[in-house]
Amino acid sequence: MNRYFLYLVLLNMIVNVIIFVPKILIDYRYEGAVMGVIIAIPIGVALNYVYCMAINKFPSQGMPEILATSKHRLFKIIHFYSIQLIWFAAGLITLVGFIDILARFVNPEMPKLALLVIYLAAIFLIIQMPTQRVMYFLEIVLFLNIPLIGFIIFQALTNKFLSWDSMLEVGTHIFASPSLKSIAAATYCFSGYANLIIFNRVIKGKLKIWNFITILFLGIFNLFTTFFIPIGFHGSDGAQQYLYPWISTADSLRLTYSPIERVIFLFLMFYMSITLISISVHWHVSFELIKATFKGKFSKKKNWIVIATYTVCSVAAVIYLNTVLLNKITVYWLVFHLGFEILVVAVFFIWARRQTV
Amino acid sequence: MKPFSSWKFLVVVLLTGLLLNGCGFKDIDKRFFVVSIGVDLAKNSPKKYLVSLKFAVPSSSKDKPTAFMIVSEKADSMSEAVRIIKTKVDKEIDFSHAKVIVYGDEVVKENGNSGINYWFVRRRDIQSIAWVAIGKPSALKVLKVQPKSEYIPSNALFLALGRDGSESPYIISEYLFDFKYRLIERGFDPLLPIIKAKKDLFEINTVGLFNKSKLKLTLNPEETKILNFLRNREEKSANKITKGKTTIVIATHKVKTKYKIYTPKGEPPYIKVNVSLEGSVEEATRLVPNDKLSDYERATEKSLSKEIENVLSKIQKANVDPIGFGLRYRSRHFNNDDWEEWKRIYPLIKFKVKTKVQIEDTGIIE
Repeated sequence: MNRYFLYLVLLNMIVNVIIFVPKILIDYRYEGAVMGVIIAIPIGVALNYVYCMAINKFPSQGMPEILATSKHRLFKIIHFYSIQLIWFAAGLITLVGFIDILARFVNPEMPKLALLVIYLAAIFLIIQMPTQRVMYFLEIVLFLNIPLIGFIIFQALTNKFLSWDSMLEVGTHIFASPSLKSIAAATYCFSGYANLIIFNRVIKGKLKIWNFITILFLGIFNLFTTFFIPIGFHGSDGAQQYLYPWISTADSLRLTYSPIERVIFLFLMFYMSITLISISVHWHVSFELIKATFKGKFSKKKNWIVIATYTVCSVAAVIYLNTVLLNKITVYWLVFHLGFEILVVAVFFIWARRQTV
Repeated sequence: MKPFSSWKFLVVVLLTGLLLNGCGFKDIDKRFFVVSIGVDLAKNSPKKYLVSLKFAVPSSSKDKPTAFMIVSEKADSMSEAVRIIKTKVDKEIDFSHAKVIVYGDEVVKENGNSGINYWFVRRRDIQSIAWVAIGKPSALKVLKVQPKSEYIPSNALFLALGRDGSESPYIISEYLFDFKYRLIERGFDPLLPIIKAKKDLFEINTVGLFNKSKLKLTLNPEETKILNFLRNREEKSANKITKGKTTIVIATHKVKTKYKIYTPKGEPPYIKVNVSLEGSVEEATRLVPNDKLSDYERATEKSLSKEIENVLSKIQKANVDPIGFGLRYRSRHFNNDDWEEWKRIYPLIKFKVKTKVQIEDTGIIE
């Protein structure tokens, strides 16, 4: 099993627990989310498998190195630009969403832009590091946080107030025809593999089948916790009223003998670092791709221009996107992302096959 | 490219200074912490509610118990009341420690309180794990009680409702998030403990059952205990049983309830409730020989089954469902109109209660 690969997939799964995926799934709980999740699992694992098989032919190489010798320069630029825009948007949506959460639950009197500045400073430090070091950083963050988040999920699962009847009631709507939006939301949990586009640099050797079996089980467990635990706490009829179902679920847990009784603050604390590293990974991919689109050496000036563009985009997004609008945009973005993801995987797979023949 | 150039690092270090602002730009000594909230009906006033906030007043010495202060305001809505109370106190009101919400006895008997119920859930700073209760004779009276054993304002209530202090089968405590869950979930109705304010103490041993909008039924202490058995929430209890001339008290240490809904075709629907108890004899008016214990077990089973059946049919007659039979029915049926079906079935349903009692010993004497 390759642990670096698993980290990338796991990171995406964990981050999606809090931000948009549960909200979308719970909104469609009677209109096909259950079937959507069931359909999304094979799609997600299949995309993982196909993409990894293709990129495995180029061990220890990121996409820029793989395409370095390619003669179709125009094709290369289109390829890089579209992917990096999507990756930048993925990071941006997570960033804006989490800043909204922080401003709402931790410090409502602090201006959002101040929170953004702190986040951006840390993110820009990380994304300019070499890929290897970003990976180490990711490993440390996951290593510190996963046991604690696991503990909170365990607490939620064993809680007396978790109503299995409510979850089963949503389960009885399994035969509703699946909705595209819920499929898109559920597949997004699996799409951490696509970071391999750059992070393949640190992966040596081939990915074995065990990786994908692990992802299958992690994915099922992750989607179950994301989707059903908030329903167990807030009801099959009531869960959709919450803006951030998982944050409200964390608030519904009580640790009597811990230093902080309210789990919500522990939960947000763990997620601060998880979100930071998730945005950094996405933007690192985007940053490396943009570096590869320039001809010649990547000068310091260009570096600053890129960083400035990132800053301007995120400041504009934080100012203009309020929570309701962000939720609406995210739904469409996720559907678009699913289509785009399938396209990229298919194109790359076909291209990679031709390379070896 | 060097990732850490020195001035960039300096900027980051300086920026982290922004994080060090304590409680969101307002110091803790400029905040006033609400420990409990009371909502009553306003008397002799055009306004609807009387909202009372109980503030903890920190004292400088550790020797005397902390003082508290109650500020009340008449208003038509919660937010209105809080805005006006803000003008009466000198510090910023902070709800992050508000752990008990008390509704007055009269408020819950009226329809149309959903605005207030939702206000608590909508505010981000009120904990979802705050306890909700009914106050008798009024919420304000409950807030005013200060038991002698209490060192922190409202702590007696926190301990009793949170089961950190006294544990009793007569207390049914309810969190805010669960209250809201039951207000919405079809087939699972809210229930709130009733706190009676006495002179220097509280009495919490009854429970009020709601339909989706108001209080419908109040159970007495024994019925409350039975309800707690049925919800699988309490294992320790004392049950008095009379057989012939002997009265014994069984202290249970394990209570387990299972139920299943049967809807046979052509026959009236019924719910099979299986309750199993394990316990020991704690008190007896006469000598109870060990070989006669099984007789007492039978007697207990008989009387308990009857009691449980009475409670269930009483709840059914009021057409409320605090145990969640309706949700159980919905979760076991795949059709979309299962809720309408259940509404027709519930008034007709019969309860078949089976109790299994096991007396394990008679304490440390025979």
